[in-house]
Amino acid sequence: MSNYNKVTDEVVKKLVAICGDEFVTTSEPLLHSYMARGIMGLEAELPEVIVRPSNTEEVSKILVVANENLSPITPAAGGLSGGFALPTIQPGGILMDLTRMNKMTVDTENRVMVVEPGVRCGDAWRIFKKRWPDWAPPIPDGAPPGATILGDAIERGFSLVTGRYGPQADMIIGLEVVLPSGETFRTGSWALDDAKAFYRWGVGPNPDGLFLGSQGSMGIVTKAAIKIIPHPHFKTIVAYGGDSWENIVGPAWEIGKQEMGVAENTVMVQGGNWPLVMTRWPKTNVPRDYEFYKKIGIDEYWMNSEVWAHSQEELDFALKRIDETYKEYEIKKNTKCPPQSLHPKQVASRLKKPNLIAVPYGLYEAGFLFITWYCPWLESAKMMEEYCAAMENHGFAPTMWVASIDHARQAIVMPILCFDSDEKGVFDRIREFNLETTKSFLKQGWINYRPDPFVHAPETFRKSKMYYKMLVKFRKVLDPNLILHPGRLAIPWASVTDLPNPLEE
Amino acid sequence: MTSLEALRKINARCIHCRACQYAYSNEPDREGDSEEFTGMLLSCPSGNLYAWEGYFNSGRMWIARAFLNKEIEASQEMLEVLEACTTCALCAEQCPNLIDTVEIIEELRAAIIEAGIEPLPKHKKFGEMVSDKELKNPYKEPRGERTKWFQGVVDNPDAKVAYFVGCTGAYRQQHIADKTTKILDKLGFDYTVVSGEVCCGSPILRTGMKPVFMDVMNENLEVFKDFDLLVFSCAGCYKTFRNDYVNHSGKELPFKVRHTVELAYDLISEGKLKIEKSYNKKVTWHDPCHSVRHVGLGIEKKILNESKNWLLDSRAATKAKEAHYNIPRIVLNAIPGLELIEMYRIKGDSFCCGAGGGVKAQFPDMAIKTSLERLREAASTGADVLMTSCPFCITNFNDGIKALKKEEEETGKDLSKLGSKLEVVELLEVLDELL
Repeated sequence: MSNYNKVTDEVVKKLVAICGDEFVTTSEPLLHSYMARGIMGLEAELPEVIVRPSNTEEVSKILVVANENLSPITPAAGGLSGGFALPTIQPGGILMDLTRMNKMTVDTENRVMVVEPGVRCGDAWRIFKKRWPDWAPPIPDGAPPGATILGDAIERGFSLVTGRYGPQADMIIGLEVVLPSGETFRTGSWALDDAKAFYRWGVGPNPDGLFLGSQGSMGIVTKAAIKIIPHPHFKTIVAYGGDSWENIVGPAWEIGKQEMGVAENTVMVQGGNWPLVMTRWPKTNVPRDYEFYKKIGIDEYWMNSEVWAHSQEELDFALKRIDETYKEYEIKKNTKCPPQSLHPKQVASRLKKPNLIAVPYGLYEAGFLFITWYCPWLESAKMMEEYCAAMENHGFAPTMWVASIDHARQAIVMPILCFDSDEKGVFDRIREFNLETTKSFLKQGWINYRPDPFVHAPETFRKSKMYYKMLVKFRKVLDPNLILHPGRLAIPWASVTDLPNPLEE
Repeated sequence: MTSLEALRKINARCIHCRACQYAYSNEPDREGDSEEFTGMLLSCPSGNLYAWEGYFNSGRMWIARAFLNKEIEASQEMLEVLEACTTCALCAEQCPNLIDTVEIIEELRAAIIEAGIEPLPKHKKFGEMVSDKELKNPYKEPRGERTKWFQGVVDNPDAKVAYFVGCTGAYRQQHIADKTTKILDKLGFDYTVVSGEVCCGSPILRTGMKPVFMDVMNENLEVFKDFDLLVFSCAGCYKTFRNDYVNHSGKELPFKVRHTVELAYDLISEGKLKIEKSYNKKVTWHDPCHSVRHVGLGIEKKILNESKNWLLDSRAATKAKEAHYNIPRIVLNAIPGLELIEMYRIKGDSFCCGAGGGVKAQFPDMAIKTSLERLREAASTGADVLMTSCPFCITNFNDGIKALKKEEEETGKDLSKLGSKLEVVELLEVLDELL
């Protein structure tokens, strides 16, 4: 394991000199107040100091101090949108809270916005509503309003139009990155002095990919230029049921594969199963038998489409085509995909952005974890079947959510693992479940999105050894002292743990 | 009886999503008149001011978890972070996992003090005065003079209705107590004021001095046990009886409780009261956290606690809560001539005045800064009157206006857009004038 140093009083003094006394703390209760275990990951270590820089220059200077002292450093802003923004090893080192960096500029001519790490989705949505009502920032859907646009983008997260545009990272046009050495540079056309961020691939080879999904371990992104999207005002939600995962995944593929026309209108396609409804409520205060849900009109499985259009006529046409596609699928597969009757309040709450649909699963048993996988869209049915069976085998409710990425090319499959965080041994049970499903899924060529450093990361890298070696090389070039967030991705393994390196076994 | 340990599982529901930091967290599409007041807004009084995560409820829930798991020891520093919270419950209103945020914060404060940490200086004085048998109030006033202001028959043995005056009504805002009795007279209630009344314990419970609170709670429950109905003019006393006495005694109250504004609402709804006189002013209404949000949340929670199927009953619970939030609006709309112009953040999403939870005494700067934010929001409506029904809101808003006026005098600036010209009015005073 890397030999990091503890944060000393001298380091704290240097941080104070950079950011000001008001923006540096070692207060024990305040350190604890940043903690989180659950939802995106279970590993978290207490930071030793928290610092709140206000600009790129301060970020750069802090990195120089961290290098001098060999202190691990973890950048965080919303801390919610996919990256697990807490230290994962000891010593916890410096937690860099980037919420003060919250500037946003919008260029509607070139259809791009530039955001700092602290721009929250809710704030961006609010400001767009008044200033640019015909445009929308690509915020994550289902994430709380405190999640940040930049966090979601650099973690290749899920946006409100992912069904059409792909992962949020695909919306990026340029980045401003502070490397662990403290050097700052920009990517894309932005690399050119005075140029706007208008062309992602810029003046030469583009290193963006190293910083997207690296969870802050290659450099700290202090600005991102991201595409904005038209925000037409004719919108609705339609949902169709089915008797199996296959029969909700299939019709969505029939629509998505058209790529144009109606497939462009369906900006978001997502579905689930009936326990997705059940586990939003306390286990002791909700029926746990499907018969109840059947009676209130909830199919065992369903898929909904969020449809945006520039006119009522266009919206009606899109809805008609969607309906026809489902009917054609019913005939082709000799099955039933009944349209779901949605209460206007259900439609309104889904259309609201950002919304909290992914949050209330803490009620079921006082703890939950999203474990996210990507796979080709049509393979998602098999993954979900296997996943639900494994969840039940391990004593978890089979709560499952799925969404289409880029016209049903890929699926994001996300079991919501509800558990009682007070139950003795529950974390071992989760680990066993995770390990079993991970081994099976990796064999089938599916990819984990938010790796657990002790389950997904080693299992994945065991099957992608050359790729992993390249990542380690890049990491060591960019961050020779390995000070940046050496946690979740375990690049390199030795920065995280003294346990045997799975690649050398 | 509740405790921090008893709330462990509820605390464990927190996934640190930070939805609790914003008003209208689940309604970011909400449309306001301006960019400043539209969508969701950061609305935690202490978080907005201090900005560190530990000053938001989301951070406090994780401090509580660390304490429960013995990862952190009680300390003065921890108590200071915890006490800088008005316990307004805006966070509880937002929480998608229905966490009893304020109960957890209050229990954590109590647990820290129980672990041997001294209460903060101003709070400690409250505790000493309320414990003192000669005082039994946080204003250091003689207990024997508690009912001195009252012109009627104290301890009338025939009355089945009692007016619980509260310490502020009895010693600091006697004119409000007096107006309340006049309203009760006009509404035809046969009531009395009780000499055995002691501090309800609200400031004591909020600031973590639970044993003192339990004493005064038990004393009040004993003194008032034979009444059918207790009427209140103080939002804090009302909430304390209605919610906290039930939680902490583990028993339903032996009497009904109603705030005076609610009594007027009952009679208006039943068609038994029609206000004839006019109040020709532009008014904006500030919802007191205690009598509106806390009681509304209590109503919702009670329905859910009795429900075996939250999926089916949650909508009814929310409806009942929202019906409670509408009560003052129904009363205001029954006043001829009164033009009600709502602020952006209202009802469950109302922004706190800044005085609650022991903040006014211990963190006066935070109290004033919070009141200034609310005054600015009130002034943005164009109303002339900022109306509410809570002695602490009234005091803190008036202090905020004083600060604005002082700044106007010193700088020559016109701060009316920030609320310097607002008239702060207690609804009970208006009701007395109009009935």
